[in-house]
Amino acid sequence: MPADTPTATTGAAAGVIHDLGYRRYDGPRLGRAQMVRALAWHSFRSAFGFGRGAKAKIVPVIAFVALLLPAVVNAASLANGNGQLVFYDTYQPVLRDLVMTIFVAVQAPELVSRDLRSRVLPLYFARPIKTSDYPLAKYLAFTAACAVMIEVPLLVLYLGTIVNAHGGAAVWAQTREFIPGLLVGLMWAVVLAAISLFLASLTGRRAFATGTVAIFFLATYTLAEILLQVENHGIRQQQAQSIQNAGHFVAPAVPMAEKVSGLFSPFTLFDGVRMWLSGHGTGQSDNVLYPGSFGAVYALVLVVLLAASLTGLFARYRKASLS
Amino acid sequence: MIPSLPDGEVAAVIETAALSKVYPGDVTALDGLTVSFAPGVTGLIGANGAGKSTLIKILLGLLDPTQGMAKVLGLDCVKDGMRIRQLVGYMPEHDCLPPDVSATEFVTHMGRMSGLPATAARERAAEALRHVGLYEERYRQIGGYSTGMKQRVKLAQALVGDPRLVLLDEPTNGLDPAGRNAMLELIAKIGEEFGISIVVASHLLGEIERICDHLVAIEAGRLLRADTIDTFTKASQTLVVEVEEGLARLERELTRRGLRPRAYQRSLLVPIGGDDTYDAVRDSVADLGLPLSRLERRRHQVEELFRDDTADVTPLEAADAG
Repeated sequence: MPADTPTATTGAAAGVIHDLGYRRYDGPRLGRAQMVRALAWHSFRSAFGFGRGAKAKIVPVIAFVALLLPAVVNAASLANGNGQLVFYDTYQPVLRDLVMTIFVAVQAPELVSRDLRSRVLPLYFARPIKTSDYPLAKYLAFTAACAVMIEVPLLVLYLGTIVNAHGGAAVWAQTREFIPGLLVGLMWAVVLAAISLFLASLTGRRAFATGTVAIFFLATYTLAEILLQVENHGIRQQQAQSIQNAGHFVAPAVPMAEKVSGLFSPFTLFDGVRMWLSGHGTGQSDNVLYPGSFGAVYALVLVVLLAASLTGLFARYRKASLS
Repeated sequence: MIPSLPDGEVAAVIETAALSKVYPGDVTALDGLTVSFAPGVTGLIGANGAGKSTLIKILLGLLDPTQGMAKVLGLDCVKDGMRIRQLVGYMPEHDCLPPDVSATEFVTHMGRMSGLPATAARERAAEALRHVGLYEERYRQIGGYSTGMKQRVKLAQALVGDPRLVLLDEPTNGLDPAGRNAMLELIAKIGEEFGISIVVASHLLGEIERICDHLVAIEAGRLLRADTIDTFTKASQTLVVEVEEGLARLERELTRRGLRPRAYQRSLLVPIGGDDTYDAVRDSVADLGLPLSRLERRRHQVEELFRDDTADVTPLEAADAG
């Protein structure tokens, strides 16, 4: 036992907890990187309510189960001889948008607002870490937590599919679809964690923090959807017009405004970047239409959004305040 | 790592030279402070805004001074802040505890954040909480604790990493008189029995002088005075004598014996000249056959040795100061 220093009374039976006097600690000390890891692990656990009361586990557990359902239903469908219902790259887009919005809105404040509220930060800053290590550990922890929420259902989907697959070729085909799905999930996690932690770190009031995060994601998503629908309507009118005028169908190009509308929400950006990288749309469950080379703009905006969120998050903790 | 004198004693736990801090907007928090803190328990006295918090921030390496030098345990505060924070425990003035975890969990986590491996953090957290006098309560959520218990948890988290020095900022804040006494005894015990040097920042002189070996007084960012507590209170010892009745007769008798008693409320304050003062008081009380109810040696409270400091003393303190 590392804490057993030479000053401990020799011969004192282990388990005797009566006054042994003060004991020095001469054992090993963690380096900074290990301490960041320890803080990240602590924060990762609290993202799921571990180490807290039962109440803190309600939202993460319900959210996780909700995200898991499509994978289970898909496995059941395959086992009964029906076709594949859920795909790796899109999963169930509306469900995932909604559940992840709830998850980050409720759990990001758990990681950062709580410490602001209880004013525990000075205790961290008075310890042998750099002030930037705190947001770093929180970000790593929450990215990992979001990744678990997204990737574990994908893994279940994969496993549920390959047990019903016949032959190595089928398994290999599934694996080839599975891996891009994982990468898309990682993109979600990296960006969602940055945005939600930054917004939550603006206030120590839990309810305000949750509201801010939820409103950001819901409002931007709604805005993007409204703009997309206006455009869709426009395209339909344009089609009708062109049929009238020309007497035959003219395939409309996806207009620029339609593509631009997709820039307004993280969720439409995810879809745009996914299609741009994969080179195709799924045609059924995309939030936006296939952007073509405009996808580079989606990627750029997404990177800028990520960078801005991280800059904001780290700036929030730049000054080590002791009060 | 800690520079030692030949006899193994650390020269000074804290040393500053011409230390200044000017905040943006020309607010001077520290103004050429040169002082050194010897090992042991040191009181850092100053009114609110005297520069105590700024000094603590600089000492922890969290704020760069505008000018001058500061060293903690021989380490430079600007260059070796990280190393200093490994050797120093800090207890803030304000509330800093999450309500929804137990003291055990919280102090264990803070032990990890002091660089302890998981097992050591658990063990030392249990010990630290025992040392500050938290037993079965430590498994309950902190939200339900009394102020006194919270202060103990704050102290425990400062001790968990086995520091060589702890900085305590107003540790008796918000405590009732009994709680204050308990906290002060605890601090004295840590200083004496644990061999940890302690700096107690406070604006209540009379309170902390009881437990300090040294006092450092600052005002408006400048050093007012730094000395051992004995020097502060030298030749200012008083004997408090209280009798159930016959106070006036006793006063006359003591004056007759060449002492200079002074009536204060329902007691007499007798300056102590030497051992014969005690004998004279004993004999006078015995000769007059008075019912003696209190005989107590008391130092002059340190407030009296500072100018203008009584303004910060609470009515309770002032009454107690005699």
